[in-house]
Amino acid sequence: MTNTRTTAVRSWSRRLFLAAAGSAAIMSGASFSAIAQEDDWEKVIEAGKKEGSLVLYTAYVGQPSTKAIADAFTAEYGISVEVLEARASEIRERVRVEQAAGRYAVDVMFTSEGQTRLYDLEDKSIDPLPVTPNSGKVRDQFKLEVPMASVMTIPYGMLVNTRLVPENEIPKKWTDLTDPKWKGKILADDPRAIGGGYSWWFSTYDKIGEDFHKKMGEQQLTFTRDQRESQRRVARGEYAIYIPLILTDAPGLEGLPVQAVIPEEGVPYVLYGNVLLKNAPHPNAAKLYIDFLQSPAAQKIYAELGHGPVVDGVTEGLPDNIRALSEAKLLGTSDSRRQNEMLEKAKAIYK
Amino acid sequence: MTIAYNRSSGVDASTQLRGNAFTRAFSGGTLGRNIGMAVLIFILGFLTLYPLSMLLYGSLHSTPPGMAGEFNLAGYRAILTAQNLLVLVNTVGISLAKTIPSLSIAVLLAWIIARTDTPFRGTLEVLITLPFFIPPILTAMAWGMLGNPQVGVINMAWRWLTGAEEPLVNVYSYGGVIWHMCQYSIPFLFLFIVDAFRAMDPSLEESSRMCGASRWSTFRKITLVLMLPVLTSSFMLSFIRGIESFESPLFFGTPAGITVITTEIYESINHRATPDYQYATALSFAILGLMFLLVLWQWSLLRGKSFQTVTGKGFRPNVIELGPWRWVTFGFCVLFFFVTVVLPVGQLLLGSFFRFFGFYTYDMLTLEHYRAVFANSEFWRAMRNTMTLGLLGATATMVLGAIVAYVSVRTKWKGRRLIDVMAWLPWMMPGMVLGVGFLWAFAMLPGPLPIYGTIWALLLAYIALGTPVATRVMTGSYHQLSYDLEECSRVHGATWFQTMWRILVALAWPAFAVGWVLTFFGIMRELSASILLYSVGSEVLSVVLLKLWTNGNAEQVSVIGLMMMLLVILFRWVQLRVIKSRISKL
Repeated sequence: MTNTRTTAVRSWSRRLFLAAAGSAAIMSGASFSAIAQEDDWEKVIEAGKKEGSLVLYTAYVGQPSTKAIADAFTAEYGISVEVLEARASEIRERVRVEQAAGRYAVDVMFTSEGQTRLYDLEDKSIDPLPVTPNSGKVRDQFKLEVPMASVMTIPYGMLVNTRLVPENEIPKKWTDLTDPKWKGKILADDPRAIGGGYSWWFSTYDKIGEDFHKKMGEQQLTFTRDQRESQRRVARGEYAIYIPLILTDAPGLEGLPVQAVIPEEGVPYVLYGNVLLKNAPHPNAAKLYIDFLQSPAAQKIYAELGHGPVVDGVTEGLPDNIRALSEAKLLGTSDSRRQNEMLEKAKAIYK
Repeated sequence: MTIAYNRSSGVDASTQLRGNAFTRAFSGGTLGRNIGMAVLIFILGFLTLYPLSMLLYGSLHSTPPGMAGEFNLAGYRAILTAQNLLVLVNTVGISLAKTIPSLSIAVLLAWIIARTDTPFRGTLEVLITLPFFIPPILTAMAWGMLGNPQVGVINMAWRWLTGAEEPLVNVYSYGGVIWHMCQYSIPFLFLFIVDAFRAMDPSLEESSRMCGASRWSTFRKITLVLMLPVLTSSFMLSFIRGIESFESPLFFGTPAGITVITTEIYESINHRATPDYQYATALSFAILGLMFLLVLWQWSLLRGKSFQTVTGKGFRPNVIELGPWRWVTFGFCVLFFFVTVVLPVGQLLLGSFFRFFGFYTYDMLTLEHYRAVFANSEFWRAMRNTMTLGLLGATATMVLGAIVAYVSVRTKWKGRRLIDVMAWLPWMMPGMVLGVGFLWAFAMLPGPLPIYGTIWALLLAYIALGTPVATRVMTGSYHQLSYDLEECSRVHGATWFQTMWRILVALAWPAFAVGWVLTFFGIMRELSASILLYSVGSEVLSVVLLKLWTNGNAEQVSVIGLMMMLLVILFRWVQLRVIKSRISKL
């Protein structure tokens, strides 16, 4: 692990050096900057190790990946990670109140892009992101306006009961679901409330169009609010199809008479990442953690679970079924600035 | 035969009370009494009024505490819609529809267990209360499997037996919501009522029978009326809890398009672009106001009446010999046990030995869920924390509840009504909103008070949440104790502490024990406040269950649910053994 980190720092400084060398006008200044940044980063590492621990709040509840990543980080730096998990609205209110009361307990928060915008603009509880060795490797589409260091995507697809749906009738595209034969046979996470169903509604509305949803509105969807139990209900044969399936759950459903489908148009997704809290009690350890989650080692852990990584080159060598999930074509995601408008539209179509 | 009070209504009860030896001894004079009352008011104020005042601020301010904003009535204006009126009517209707049958069945079961010679009633008493102690999400899942219209076990059996096309039951409906709520309210009410039946002096009923009243008439006019404090208290607790019920409407109501107050509040906090705490808290206060009217109704109902049945005269609760009918009552209890326990818990037990619930084939048999739970260090840490909090919390809550109940029922101190109301308040606020109130209250305390972020925050919240039940249980019990007992004890030279211990604690002990078990398992299940107050290292069981459930490990959640049930059986068995030995000594 230490080797990985050293290589990362070296390659990061080498990249900076090369970039600086390419610009003759500022060559001397840039090379000085690169060396200075490398020195700075070494200082961050040293200070982080002295801090010895960090506190992470995560809204991604119950995921074994949190512990796997935390253990890998501790193995790398010797810094322990204390994790507190709660749902998005609960985490947000805790952080807001802690900041307002001057009780600074948390260093890093793992949350979604939409929540980050609220933390940043409304609560003003997060700091700008630090520039770190791994931050430059993130693919352009995951470099954000908001101060969130992107880490991975949660992709959404469909779940089909293979006892109720013959193989040749399994839908391949989102638009296949508008076929009248599925009327009354689809269980769906409620698109009229923030959650997986809403993410599906938002991105398919934007990318496929309103007509698609008008037709879906006539399919007599049954709405639920419990994603994991809904998967089981489809497996037991209550409904033929469940949308949207968190595709990373698919490996855990093996053995059940269900099939996960990655629609041809692409998968709606939610982007998750880390933010740095204001007045973090362990700011250097926090920077190391934020950097570590964009490192190839951490990105590979997520890719192995079927999440979409935000850097290139970590999906090679994965089993085919997992690689299909982590490399799934991304359709789109929701935009928190349009939430109220889109919730109203959803309520108008899905009455 | 309509008068059921064993103290003459012509006697001025307050004069008697003021003069009774016990009250004088306990008060230690006006100063001691005032100090005692002030301490009680302070404790209850901190536990209940303080978090509620933070919520009130939230309902009247455009932003939650700690953010710049302005005072306005936007929250209250926003709740005044025709849609919300419909939601309110819906909620009240559902709650009434579940409380009335639940109370009737609970009274019948309590009577059968406590007052008849029905066979195996000792065992049945433990078994029929089990559903109350299972996490609601598990029974919801089990009933989803049993009663879904497409492939539910009950409907499959119905179709196979009758050849019918249409399903017999559909749990995703109003009926399903009410049925699932009944699973919790019947055992809860039963636990509340059964000891009141036991503490009944049969001489009153015998007098009624000797005066020519029929058995039914005696039951209706004597037994039930004597139990008015317990029945009205339990009706209110159950009705209010029905208004605030969340899991059942969310699980079974949402797919059927049924909206209730709590799902509306949940949506305003969790499913809007920005959580609308002003709206959520305003709606909760409107509900609290309505619920308070119920408390006033109960006061007016009980005013000036006495319900004492446990007097200085020795008695043994009368066991009615039913003859062959005892097998009918036995059959009723077994049917209830089968439908509410065997069917859902059987699913959970069976499912816990297979890889997936509902897929019971040989190749799916496994012990992996048990292994996973036993190897989960986080689960054991949470179990230790929860047991510690449960033991401390339930004991502290019951002591507080017993004191509040004692002062409000058995003294005429000034301010007793105030503390009675204060002890009611946490019950009238939906749990998910009250959790936010605790978060705001504890986090906003001045710096040197380190409560937020420690295990004390959880303990205090649990005590506050449990106080209403603790107080109601003890109030019902104290209403039944005669003042003669205290006076007699004092006359015979017992000290105040001896009197307190031998009379009030010893005689009210069964109620204390029931309250303790209810509070203990209330703490084990509590999630809304826990998730907002727990800190790293102080994880509790409900948070671990949420994490497992969210990750799709329903089978592991079942394993833990079954372990909780074993714990209940153990607790209840010990408790009933002790009660039995005490009653035999009376």
